[in-house]
Amino acid sequence: MEDLLKVEDLRTYFFTEAGVVKAVDGISLDVRKGESHGLVGESGSGKSVTALSVMRIVPKPGKIVGGKISFDGTDLLTLKEDDMRRVRGSKIAMVFQDPISSLDPLYTVGKQLIEAIRANNETVSKEQARDMAISLLSNVEISEPERRFNQYPHELSGGMKQRIAIARALARTPTLLFADEPTTNLDVTIQAQVLNLMKDLKKNFNMTLVLITHDMGIIAEMTSRVTVVYAGQVSESAETHTLFYHPTHPYTEALLKAVPRLDKRKQLQSVGGNIPNLIDPPTGCRFHPRCPYAIQICKEKVPDYEEVETDHFVACHRWKELSLVGVQ
Amino acid sequence: MGSLINYIIRRVLFMIPVFIGVTLFTFLIGNAAGNPINLIRLAFKGTLPQNVYLQLVAYYHIGENPLIRYLYYLWDLIHFDLGLSITSQRPVASEIGPWVWTTLYLQLSALALALLIGIPIAIYSARHQHSKSDTTITGIAIFGYSTPTFWLGIIFIYIFSFYLRVLPSSGAVSAITPWWGNWTLDRIAHLILPMTVLTYVQLATIIRLLRGNLLEVLKQDYILAAMASGLKERAVIYGHALRNAITPIITIIGLSLGASLAGAPGLETAFSWPGLGYEFTQAALALDIPTVLGITVIISVMVLVANLATDLVYGFLDPRVRVS
Repeated sequence: MEDLLKVEDLRTYFFTEAGVVKAVDGISLDVRKGESHGLVGESGSGKSVTALSVMRIVPKPGKIVGGKISFDGTDLLTLKEDDMRRVRGSKIAMVFQDPISSLDPLYTVGKQLIEAIRANNETVSKEQARDMAISLLSNVEISEPERRFNQYPHELSGGMKQRIAIARALARTPTLLFADEPTTNLDVTIQAQVLNLMKDLKKNFNMTLVLITHDMGIIAEMTSRVTVVYAGQVSESAETHTLFYHPTHPYTEALLKAVPRLDKRKQLQSVGGNIPNLIDPPTGCRFHPRCPYAIQICKEKVPDYEEVETDHFVACHRWKELSLVGVQ
Repeated sequence: MGSLINYIIRRVLFMIPVFIGVTLFTFLIGNAAGNPINLIRLAFKGTLPQNVYLQLVAYYHIGENPLIRYLYYLWDLIHFDLGLSITSQRPVASEIGPWVWTTLYLQLSALALALLIGIPIAIYSARHQHSKSDTTITGIAIFGYSTPTFWLGIIFIYIFSFYLRVLPSSGAVSAITPWWGNWTLDRIAHLILPMTVLTYVQLATIIRLLRGNLLEVLKQDYILAAMASGLKERAVIYGHALRNAITPIITIIGLSLGASLAGAPGLETAFSWPGLGYEFTQAALALDIPTVLGITVIISVMVLVANLATDLVYGFLDPRVRVS
């Protein structure tokens, strides 16, 4: 399958008063047409910033300082802002983590959907847009779409808001959809509903999905390939099945251990320590201060991103000698 | 719609105790200042005829319980009778009218100007946070925010009226026909200095608050989401960011509008601007209790109405506080 999105050595820094935060510091990613790609890592590892960088809407004081992003053969980083704007929403869209804050509280659902439908597309009349908005609402399985159309976000439940945020992202049938932790702020039962909905929509709208999450369960459920990021860099990338059963990076192993299991009576293990300060990241391998297998070379030298087998890459000095434990 | 009318009626009913509290308080304090008739007697230098004196005693209900006299006052008030001014001997109600208007056009022109200039500056400042121009703007705003209006007024009078001799220093209009013979221009010339001072101070408030709110709003996901849907940046800034950032400011402006309709006594005194604030100060100094009371009544009504209007406008702007 061909690559729809290819991100190479992306660097997005935030120039804050405290110093330069290297939120994304050399992330590479290839997303194939039609797949569900998982982007996994702890909070603050640069997952969301990667998505914002691809859409070129990184908020200030953030700035893309290096790398290459090509989407369907177009180099996005060299596009003029006007042309990039036409890509947003129509080719690449995004669903945000918090449905409460991702809808403008002062506008009705209908107004926000119509706005998204008609962005850069004024040939659509307001009446047409209204009909399209109502059908979008039924697409995301919202009951009484006519009534919801005239309601304000605060009159709706969290799950419903997230469905509406999804409907807005689908307004102009994008080819690529970033879903940034779309279920993190929802109740568990609603989570399952929203994930199933996203699965169906992906199929029906013929989309490619990049699912950003820190939940390995969602990764297992939803994706076919995964890229694991740590502290603004990629640590491992593989097919989901391979990653779960044959992890080659100690961080992946730690993430898998941190997944609660119903079938095994074992104490839940968290990944020890905290995500490093990205103003002054650790030398060598950025995971070494938290890595149980770290040796001298890990502190000194940045590991290469090596091919383990076809479609399986890892950035670890010791992947050949370690035999890590995946899901059993 | 019916619920809105109910809400307004409820709010107006709630105003009555507040109104009574404010006026009663002022009435009692006014009484504590002394017997108005003694002041009139003083003005007549002891030549007040006995029959006039007795008329005055009956008119002011002297000798009755202060609370009973307050009720008399309220009764007259319902008939739009605020009593006679002690200094001018004219009805307070007809004296106050022009003062309200003079205060109103100074305050409202300054507010309109401050909003007109302040909104784009605040947007610019928020979008270029920590830039040199943002720091400069914030600095000037903090200066304006912390400067007393009367002090700035005196400085302006010194520069423009005394030193440069280009603008009048006091009053709202010339006492004699100006040499260019145009009264409108004359009023505008008088308005410029106090309006500029007031605009600057209000501008400072608006920029400071709006910039802060915008910085907060610009971090919200709905701004990113609007950008991600392919909207133009201008549409996002004006349609989403500004609308969300300015809504709480409308409340602050509305609430302070009530207070500023009371006139800025400091500023109005510095410019001898014949508005409510200046006249209130004058009346208080002359122990003209009916005028002081009359102005207080007008101010309380204006503050109460401004507060209600603010609530209604806020409900219109923000669906979350709309009455259901």
